[in-house]
Amino acid sequence: MTDITKEAISPPRSFLSQDAIQVFYRLLAALLICAVLAVLSDSFLSLGNILNVLRQASLTFFIASGLTLVVLTAGLDLSVGANVALSACLAGTVIHQTGSPVLGVVTALVAGGIVGLLNGVMVTALRIPSFIATYGMLWVLNGLTYWYMAGDTIHGFPAGFRQIGSGYLFGLPIPVYLLVVFLAIGTLFAQRTIWGQEIYAIGANPVAARLSGIPVVRRLLLVYAVSGTMAGLASIIFLSRLNSAEADIGESLTLPAIAAVLIGGTSLFGGVGTVFGTFVGALILTLVLNGMNLLSVSANWQPLVTGIIVILAVWLDMKTRRRTQ
Amino acid sequence: MKLRLGYLALPLLTAAAFTTQARADGQTIAVFTKNQTNPYFQTVRVGADVAAKALNAKTLQYIPTKPDSIPEQLSQIEDVVVKKPSAIVFIPVDYKAMVPGVEKINDAKIPVVNITDRSAGGKFVSFVGADDYSLGLETARYLLKTLGGKGNIVIIEGVKGSLTNVDRVRGFNDALKETPGAKLLASQPGNYQRLQALQVMENLMQSNSQIDGVLAANDAMAVGAIEALDGANRKAQVIGINGTKEAIDAIKSGKLLASGDYNGFAQGCLGTMMAIRNLREQPVVAEIVLKPTVITKDNFGPFDVPLEQRACPTWEEAQKLGTK
Repeated sequence: MTDITKEAISPPRSFLSQDAIQVFYRLLAALLICAVLAVLSDSFLSLGNILNVLRQASLTFFIASGLTLVVLTAGLDLSVGANVALSACLAGTVIHQTGSPVLGVVTALVAGGIVGLLNGVMVTALRIPSFIATYGMLWVLNGLTYWYMAGDTIHGFPAGFRQIGSGYLFGLPIPVYLLVVFLAIGTLFAQRTIWGQEIYAIGANPVAARLSGIPVVRRLLLVYAVSGTMAGLASIIFLSRLNSAEADIGESLTLPAIAAVLIGGTSLFGGVGTVFGTFVGALILTLVLNGMNLLSVSANWQPLVTGIIVILAVWLDMKTRRRTQ
Repeated sequence: MKLRLGYLALPLLTAAAFTTQARADGQTIAVFTKNQTNPYFQTVRVGADVAAKALNAKTLQYIPTKPDSIPEQLSQIEDVVVKKPSAIVFIPVDYKAMVPGVEKINDAKIPVVNITDRSAGGKFVSFVGADDYSLGLETARYLLKTLGGKGNIVIIEGVKGSLTNVDRVRGFNDALKETPGAKLLASQPGNYQRLQALQVMENLMQSNSQIDGVLAANDAMAVGAIEALDGANRKAQVIGINGTKEAIDAIKSGKLLASGDYNGFAQGCLGTMMAIRNLREQPVVAEIVLKPTVITKDNFGPFDVPLEQRACPTWEEAQKLGTK
């Protein structure tokens, strides 16, 4: 008990901690995959392909970054993908109706945020386990989106809006800038602010966190709202990259985001992990798929390879964690 | 005052007359589709509604809330057997796994018409479907003809192992085999998802400096591939399958070369027509396998009409479409 209490009220973590070592292992794994792919494929190390991978990883990262905070509190948000789908469809409608991309962006962020906040309310006020609450929310969102779209798609958006997801600035894709910004904000928030530290403390031991005066309910509401808002942001990137909104995108986005968080070394039991690790997790997943495309690996083998990589990554995580502790 | 009442009574009486008329032949047809996400099934449902309306019957739609859920469709069948609709138009979410469900319907003596995916078992009044293989073959042939019988081709596959994908991709590959000048660069999975197809295309463009043609197993993936090509300022001829509204728009604007129509609307129409005709003891066609239509810039007109305003085939036309 004394140990846990000490951890809950310990001074802000330095980035060079246990977590830093975990991130180091992950970067090493990502580099290893890069090295193998560079040997196997001539086109892998081209600038175009590297930017490609970063842009593809960014979408997963945006969804997974907010989710990381939820997992740090020992929670889970299964509704993120469905949230992206609903937010994208609403934002797409608003842009079509008003012709204003700005209103569309606001709609997506607000809609995503509200859904996140509702998840937070279910978890805190109604005390529903987050797994169940957000699983229920997933169905609610799917239902709403399917009903709203009735099998249709919304497509064709203004060129300016398309720039967010498809455009370049000084030779770099715009989502890559957003990736850097949100990676920095997420890392600074989690590692360098009191709120961030309180989130780690809640995940490590909620009882100790409450007893040491941390407003647990408010922090939990915050992390679910952030997770939802990031889903809203991801929906904007999605919409502007694909030029289209459809109801059934949720399922294909949720599990990769969760996988990115876990491959990135954030523990499902809470209190351990980093936003940077999640970025590396998203990168590893993207690299694997990119590599298989470049090498023309048969469609039959791709799910199998992806599955094995996910299992290996988490297994390695457990192993290195035991060793360093 | 009396006069006014008389005026009021007249439409009321007429309405009552129509209601009894409707009740006399107003059968209820339960229509089972696989999901609410694929626009194809929306076209089937609207086709069924249009046919039922024309024949003075009504439809009840049964759609699993979780796309393609086997247990959910099974429990919907159980509900329907209790509710006893006049007849059923049925697309199994899985052509093998739903056989026990079909047998339940057979046991309850509710006539059932099978459409789209041919059930592996059970007794049906009719089967109405199209052929994924020839859809893949014909669309790919059209692309290869447009390219002058040569060029570098990539295939973007749908969900691996799904029946539609297996047959469509087989059709693509057979068309490629007929065309010695064409070279298949890669056949990669996009899982029928727009985003995945876009990313696959981005990746393939890194390792292939020249791609002339893209064969995508559905329209969403075709449009995703076009976005990737546009983003890289590259050009290739792209075909999709399903004939969605989005695909028609893309064909109109010259971005998409062609899309294969699986005739969902006609399948919904014809399936419902057979179910109702069977109930009214009129002759039916036991099997209709529709020929795929390759929708191009030359013939997209009829597909550019909102579904609700399209007309179902007549009985005379349906008879000609019959293969058995």
